[in-house]
Amino acid sequence: MTKTITEQKLRSLMDLLLKEGRRVVAPRQAGSIVLYEPIDSGEQLVLGIMPRRSAKETFFPLCETILTYGKDGNGVMVSDVDAGAFPETILVGAPPCDAAAPAVLDAVFSWDYNDEFFLERRKKTIIIGLACTAADDACFCTAVGLSPRDDKGSDLFLTPVAGGGYLCDAVTKKGKVFLDTYASFLAGGEAKPLPSAEPAATPLDLAGIKDWLESNFESPLWQEFADRCAGCGACAFLCPVCHCFDIVDEGTETKGARRKSWDACGFGKFTNHASGHNPRDIQNKRYRNRIMHKFKYYQDKFGQTLCTGCGRCVRSCPVGIDIRAVLEEIQAKP
Amino acid sequence: MQQNHTQLADDSYFAAVTNAIRTETTKLLSEGTVAAVIGYQAGTRAGTVIPTIITDAAKAGDLVFSPGCVNNLALYLTKAKKEVRPAGKVAIIAKGCDMRALAGLLGESQLKREELHIIGVACVGVKGAGAGSGEALTTGTIARKCRECTVRAPEGADVVVGAVPPLPEFSPVEAEELARLEAMTPAERWAFWKGHFSRCIRCMACRQVCPFCYCEQCLCDRNRPQALETTPRPAGNMAWHIVRAMHLAGRCAGCTECERACPMDIPLNLLNRKMARELKTLYDFEAGLVPVEKGPLTEYREEDDQSFIK
Repeated sequence: MTKTITEQKLRSLMDLLLKEGRRVVAPRQAGSIVLYEPIDSGEQLVLGIMPRRSAKETFFPLCETILTYGKDGNGVMVSDVDAGAFPETILVGAPPCDAAAPAVLDAVFSWDYNDEFFLERRKKTIIIGLACTAADDACFCTAVGLSPRDDKGSDLFLTPVAGGGYLCDAVTKKGKVFLDTYASFLAGGEAKPLPSAEPAATPLDLAGIKDWLESNFESPLWQEFADRCAGCGACAFLCPVCHCFDIVDEGTETKGARRKSWDACGFGKFTNHASGHNPRDIQNKRYRNRIMHKFKYYQDKFGQTLCTGCGRCVRSCPVGIDIRAVLEEIQAKP
Repeated sequence: MQQNHTQLADDSYFAAVTNAIRTETTKLLSEGTVAAVIGYQAGTRAGTVIPTIITDAAKAGDLVFSPGCVNNLALYLTKAKKEVRPAGKVAIIAKGCDMRALAGLLGESQLKREELHIIGVACVGVKGAGAGSGEALTTGTIARKCRECTVRAPEGADVVVGAVPPLPEFSPVEAEELARLEAMTPAERWAFWKGHFSRCIRCMACRQVCPFCYCEQCLCDRNRPQALETTPRPAGNMAWHIVRAMHLAGRCAGCTECERACPMDIPLNLLNRKMARELKTLYDFEAGLVPVEKGPLTEYREEDDQSFIK
C-alpha cells in the first residue's frame, strides 16, 4: 500500500533522527543560497529548491583530511583517519539528478582502488530522494536518461502530492527497513501526486555523441566551443558527478595534514607536470577533456554517462557555456 | 511587499545599440581595419549572451547587445587568454565599466592603444544577480554596480554607440551595504566575512574572470613553497580573498565580474570598493580613469606617508 507523510511529520522525523545521533544532510539556507548541509533541526529543511552545490559532498567533501602527521623530540607520528568512525547519515530532499549521482560515482571510487572515504560514507547513508515539480531553463535530466520523478539512486523516494505532503516509496531494501522502522510517521491512503516538472529538453543521442568523440579528438570545434572558457572550476565543482581531486600536504615541519580536495580539469594547473610540460596547455584541450570524460571515457570504462542533467554547469558558467548546446552541435555532426 | 519596478529602456534602445555594433563590425572587418571583433552573441537561454570573437564580416549579424551583456570582455585581451587573442588590431565592445579595465590594462602595459579599436556602448545598465534570464531590465533587476554607475557615457572610445535614455535615481544599494559594514565592530565584520568565506569552494571563478588577474604564476597556486593553503578551508579561504583584494587595490576598476561569477554569492565587490575607497583617501587615486604608468601601490614618492615606519 502507498504510504504518505505530511511535511510536518517529515520534519519531526528528521528531529527524531538527529536525536538518535544520526547526521542529517539536507538542503538548508546558507546566506543567500541553499546548500546541502548537516541540519540541526527538521525546521531547517528546505524542500523544493535545488541547492547551489550538488549532493556529492555528502560522500565526497570539498576537502577532507586523509592523514595527520606530527614531529617532536621522540620522532614522527603519522595517523590515519578512521573512515569506520564516519556517522550514519540521512541525505534528504535530493532531486533525482542529485540522488542518482552517487551510484554513478560508485564505479570509479571502487574501480582500481577502493576509496574507503567515499565507500564508507555510501554504506552509511540513506538517500531520500524528492521528485521535482519545477524545472528551470537549465534543467536537462530528461536529455540524459533521467526524469524529474526518477527514483534511481534513492533508497526512499518522496513525491509531492496535491494539498501538501508526500508519497513515500521504498526503493531499496535499505529504504524498506527505514520505512518499517519509522512507520509511525507515515499514513496510508491514496493521494494525488503533483504534476511532474517538465524540463524543456529532448533526449540526447548519447551513443551518437560518443561515436563522434571517438574520432574527433582533434577537431576545430573544440576551439569554437571553448575559446571563451575562462578556466574556472565552477562547472566541475557544482557538478554532481565530477569527482577529480587533488591531494596536498598542508602544515608546518612539526605538524600538519594530508588533505584531499576537489580539483577541476578546467584549471590550467590540472595536468601540469613536474617537468613543466603540460599536455593540456590551452583551454580548449581542457574543455575537450571535460566532454570526453563525461560522454566517452566514463562510458568506455563503466558503461555510464557522467552527467545527470542537473544544469548547474549551465547556470554557473560565467561565460555562458551551455553543455547542452555543445552536445547538440556534436550530435548534429555526421 | 510587492514593489513596482519600471522598465529602464525599451527594446528600441537595445536594438539601436545592436545595429550600430553590427554596422561598425561589418565596416571594420570588411575594410580590414581590425583582425577581429570581441563582442557578445545570443546565448542558449532566453536573454543570455556568450562572449564571442568574430573575424568574418559576414558574421557581424551574430553580435547583440542586451541587458544580459554582463561580461567584461577585456578579459579576452589579457595575457591569461593569449591563446585566443587574435594577432593584430582588435576591436572590442566595451561598456563604461569595461573601459575602466581597458584603461588599467593600458596603464600596466598589457595592451597597446594603437592595437585596440574600442566600440564604447553608452550603457543603460545590465542585469544583476537573481534576475531571471528572461526578465527585462528594470529598477528591480538592474545590477548593483549599475545603480551607481558614473560612466554610462564612455570616454576615450574610438566610437560610441547608443544613447542613454533618461533614467530614474537609483538608491545606492551597494554603498549602503558598505556603510553598514564600515559601521560594524571589527569582530562583527570578521564574522560577516567568515560567514561568506565559509561558502567559498575555491573554484577561482573570481580570479579567472578578472581582467587584472593575468599573472602567469598566481601566488595562490604555488606549492613549492605553498604561499597559502589551496584547500577550501577557513584559513586558506580568508587568505585567498585578502590576497585577491590587496593585489587588486588600486587596479580594480569595479567591473564586479568577480562577484557576478561567484557561484557561492560572496559579495566580493564590497572588498574591492573598500580598497578603492582607501586608495582614494590615502592617495587621491581612482583606478581606471586614465591610463597611468604606475598605480600608487607600485610607485614610490618621497612625499609618501612614512609615518608607519617605526
